[in-house]
Amino acid sequence: MSEPVSRRDLLHNVVRGSVLATLGGGALFLVQKAHGQVVWQVDAARCINSRLGDTGAEACKLCTTECVVALSAVRAVNEYSKCGRCNICPAYFNITSAVDEKGLPSEKLCPRDAIARKPIGKADPEDPANNFYEYIIDEEKCDGCGKCVMKCKEPLGLGSIVLRVRYDKCVNCNRCAISRSCPKDALRQIPVDQALRAPEIRTRTE
Amino acid sequence: MRGAILPLALLLLSFLPNLHAQAIPYSRPVETAPQAEAIGGGYQTPAVQKPLPRDAVFQVLDVLLLAAAMGVSVWLVLKRRNRKWAVALTIGSLAYFGFYREGCVCPIGSIQNVAVALTDRTYAIPMVVTAVFFLPLVVALFFGRAFCGGVCALGAIQELVVLRPVRVPVRLDRALGLLKYVYLSLAILLAVKPALGRDFLICRFDPFVGFFRRTGAPHMLLLGGGFLLLGMFVGRPYCRYLCPYGGLLAWCTRLARRGVTITPDKELDCGLCAEACPYGAIDHMRAVRKDCLYCARCYASCPRDGDLARAKAALVTLS
Repeated sequence: MSEPVSRRDLLHNVVRGSVLATLGGGALFLVQKAHGQVVWQVDAARCINSRLGDTGAEACKLCTTECVVALSAVRAVNEYSKCGRCNICPAYFNITSAVDEKGLPSEKLCPRDAIARKPIGKADPEDPANNFYEYIIDEEKCDGCGKCVMKCKEPLGLGSIVLRVRYDKCVNCNRCAISRSCPKDALRQIPVDQALRAPEIRTRTE
Repeated sequence: MRGAILPLALLLLSFLPNLHAQAIPYSRPVETAPQAEAIGGGYQTPAVQKPLPRDAVFQVLDVLLLAAAMGVSVWLVLKRRNRKWAVALTIGSLAYFGFYREGCVCPIGSIQNVAVALTDRTYAIPMVVTAVFFLPLVVALFFGRAFCGGVCALGAIQELVVLRPVRVPVRLDRALGLLKYVYLSLAILLAVKPALGRDFLICRFDPFVGFFRRTGAPHMLLLGGGFLLLGMFVGRPYCRYLCPYGGLLAWCTRLARRGVTITPDKELDCGLCAEACPYGAIDHMRAVRKDCLYCARCYASCPRDGDLARAKAALVTLS
């Protein structure tokens, strides 16, 4: 009685062994190909909100509405070294709103009040236009709607604010949900080390 | 007449507030960005917030946790035959792999990445994803679907809502079970298309990931809710009829050396285990490995072994 059982066991072992070998081979093949992680990133030169030529249009809000992460993993980032630090920042103020008693536009642009404005150094009340102001984006509040990005770009601003994927928020979907509906195909997968280098902001489309 | 209307209107309008203040004509104040030297006063340009993605160490830790959880699942169910701790493991896995890690990376979705990596020479698959894909298959080759019970977050969320499972007629059960192979082939076919037309069906139509992320498209949340509602009366419908990875695991379990075993007693042939199994995985008093989802309900209900027997023994000692 024990003879057929052990034969069956042997057969099982052989088949299991070969399946294991196949799986192992497959895994080895894949590991050989693996070279680091890729992450999604917004190409500022393609994004409607930051590329040149679409100034008059409404900001594209697809990064906010399409992302699977709460609030969206795409947030506006101010590249401070490129910021004009203007007195009247077109991305901070709604520059078409009425002027208040201080001579500044009375409305802010950001619907979530995520941008803070503070004078750098001692603000000279006599000459407000020549003071510098720092604009810090609170990325925890920002939902990446792109309004400020649209206003910051040339000719109104210097184009220091761009939309970028926050890697701590992004869940790195196989196919980014935003990329599926992005009209300019601005979301691209790039190697993570490349993405972590200083963001090179190109606003002119090549 | 017409000449009088305009001044009158202007007069009326001037009473409205806010109209004195008008938008200033905007002109760009600066042509170039002032740098720290130009600003002076020891000003330093703030660093751009650049949060890092999840550290590689933690990704490896996730894989180790996955392996450990499968080991614990095998030990609890096969060795200890203890359902209570198996449920605790299920809740733990749901909390970590589900709600904390938000359902990503999971072996079910990794099928597509593996399929793409095997066919597309330029597509690199992270090692973590490779490990997540192969580990549960290897475990299934030896012990059966230990991953499904107590580890898989999608399974866990359904496992915990099983309320009053009905027995699905065997023929219907088998026919519906074929759906997962259709889904598997469809998912692979769409994934191996050229990069631009590629679609990741399994991730897109994952019914529970919306709950894990606490946000999602309304129709997907509705679908997930539907699956959970159905899951109260049909044990783990997604796992049994749709999960493509379940299909792969079922193939591997055919070679498994060990698994949940039911050994009918000579005197007692009560069939309580088959009654207790919500997944129809006990056929003629024998556990069917390809369908067994490692929930240990059969052991819990057994009057000879497991929780019920232990409770009985305790009762006898008390009285």
